[in-house]
Amino acid sequence: MARVKVSLFAALRVSIGGKPSVELEIEPGETVGDVLDRLGVPADQTRIIFVNSRHAGLADPLQGGEQVAVFPAIGGG
Amino acid sequence: MPVIYRVNMSDLSVRAEEPREGYGELGGRGLTSAIVAGEVPPSCHPLSAENKLVLAPGSLTASGAPCAGRLSAGAKSPLTGTIKESNSGGTAAMALASLGIHAIVLEGKPRDNRLYRLIVNRDGVKIEPAETLGGLGNYESVGRQFEQFGERIACISIGPAGEMRAAAASIAVTDVEGRPTRHCGRGGLGAVMGSKGVKVIVVEPAAGERLKAADPAAFKAAVRKFAEALQKHPLTSQTLPTYGTNALANVINAAGAYPTRNFSEGQFEGTEAISGERQHDVILQRDGVIAHACHRGCTIRCSRIYVDEQGQYVTKGPEYETIWAHGADCGIDDLDAIAQMDRLDDDLGLDTIETGATIAVAMEAGILHFGDARGAIRLLEEVQKGTPLGRLVASGAAVLGKAYGVSRIPVVKGQSMPAYDPRAVQGIGVTYATSTMGADHTAGYAIAANVLGVGGRVDPLKPEGQVELSRNLQIATAAIDSAGLCLFVAFAVLDDPSALAAICEMFAALRGRPFTGDDLVALGKSILACERRFNAAAGFTAADDRLPDFFTQEKLAPHNVTFTVPDEELDKVFDFVA
Repeated sequence: MARVKVSLFAALRVSIGGKPSVELEIEPGETVGDVLDRLGVPADQTRIIFVNSRHAGLADPLQGGEQVAVFPAIGGG
Repeated sequence: MPVIYRVNMSDLSVRAEEPREGYGELGGRGLTSAIVAGEVPPSCHPLSAENKLVLAPGSLTASGAPCAGRLSAGAKSPLTGTIKESNSGGTAAMALASLGIHAIVLEGKPRDNRLYRLIVNRDGVKIEPAETLGGLGNYESVGRQFEQFGERIACISIGPAGEMRAAAASIAVTDVEGRPTRHCGRGGLGAVMGSKGVKVIVVEPAAGERLKAADPAAFKAAVRKFAEALQKHPLTSQTLPTYGTNALANVINAAGAYPTRNFSEGQFEGTEAISGERQHDVILQRDGVIAHACHRGCTIRCSRIYVDEQGQYVTKGPEYETIWAHGADCGIDDLDAIAQMDRLDDDLGLDTIETGATIAVAMEAGILHFGDARGAIRLLEEVQKGTPLGRLVASGAAVLGKAYGVSRIPVVKGQSMPAYDPRAVQGIGVTYATSTMGADHTAGYAIAANVLGVGGRVDPLKPEGQVELSRNLQIATAAIDSAGLCLFVAFAVLDDPSALAAICEMFAALRGRPFTGDDLVALGKSILACERRFNAAAGFTAADDRLPDFFTQEKLAPHNVTFTVPDEELDKVFDFVA
């Protein structure tokens, strides 16, 4: 079974009860967007997505074993 | 009529003058750099009588424009030897602007080596002896001014580090609660203030705004437009007030660019424990404060008040850079210990970026183990005691590293790199290498497009597009730094054309003549050109516009990448300067 780890940050954590991350089973080829839909994360609130620390988009497919990190609009110093 | 006060510490005299030709329309960094470049011999010793310390509010300060309360401090830097501008939030800029003060310039040097304070109010500037403040931390010495003068004052001060003329010494500015928590941190300007014998500057503001626009109706409309743009952008209206600057820790760590244990890795296993999310939760659980403004008129409210488990005040924030420098860079994941160190840095009057980076180099040198939070606090106590080790800690990473034979010292032009590894964010690497300020992140904040998706997207791991990105941001930032605007307005400016238009409309309405985006670019370019010329005359060449070799040789995990922007490309950043 293919699994991915999805980490959510800042206000997006509310979708997974405030936890920093969840592990999910996926069908290989499911996109980042599909996974976020399943978690109830509104796509329009996502701004920065990393798959294995590289920039990625909602349409990018996952095969299993990836670390996905999703942020809303974030900035700071 | 705006006034510039010339405070001569050699003969303890004060002269008020109208801004001379070329100074009148400048503010903030534009003004400090013009005065330093025009009047300070580039080859002078930064702690000598020939250096000048210029303190200037911005062109928009105390005008009614939101987020425009920053104070610029400028001089030749004792840390870098370059021209330096360092700006701070807090209450002082608006207090100075309310009195119609365009700038205060500290000149000369006391012949008797004594300590003084300045009292600034509607009667002018007075110099008074202040021996009794000698050796006091910023909290105590500023506290005494509030006891004497009441709660409406603003204070600009140095701590023991500035009195020691330490190269990492900051200039503190009081926040709205009257605490010395905002700092002109970078480049050791606290040492310049100390060399001129000034311990604290007390400013008694005049009531109301002083800056009157030539076209008040147009100015008001532009202010409203600007305020709306800041309200619309999720960063300036939600993320920053909720999580503060440290919202960035998890992003930069996820990007593999969070410098860990003296820039040896790009991810820190302890990031969650020191993240903006955790900091937010801890502060709220303990009844601290979030969504806090460091100056009146700031609508972004990124600062916060950190308290201990008993709910007692410890420090502000701390900010992203501070938490990184004393945290991941040192292998420390204890937020309370980091907050304690921030409090010590503020009280001693030290740049938190430089100090954390110096402790990390001390760890690399074997003075402490990475992760030793108690040991790091003891190093700051050495500064407090003024021991030789303490003086090394207060002198910055390059000096301490040299004294201990360390070869991996992450500095450019003697100044420590901030919280982004240039190998994994190549655009900020270009800024670090080429900025007139030394390794500086605010000078050309490429993170915006490299990592955050603000103002476009440029792949952080490749050399392409980074020179143009850094150049454009360095130009824009120099202009914003002249307005007294907080750089965080740039998040809205980069994404929303109406924000940039509003800034230009504010300038135009202020001056009573057109001011466009091209004029803003021209302003930024002229400031950078002036700074580049000073640095060249001070002996800096292209060889100084480079990162330390280990960044081009040592691969950084997790991306296993080195800095690959070629030297010839770095030398093109300032191709607009004759």
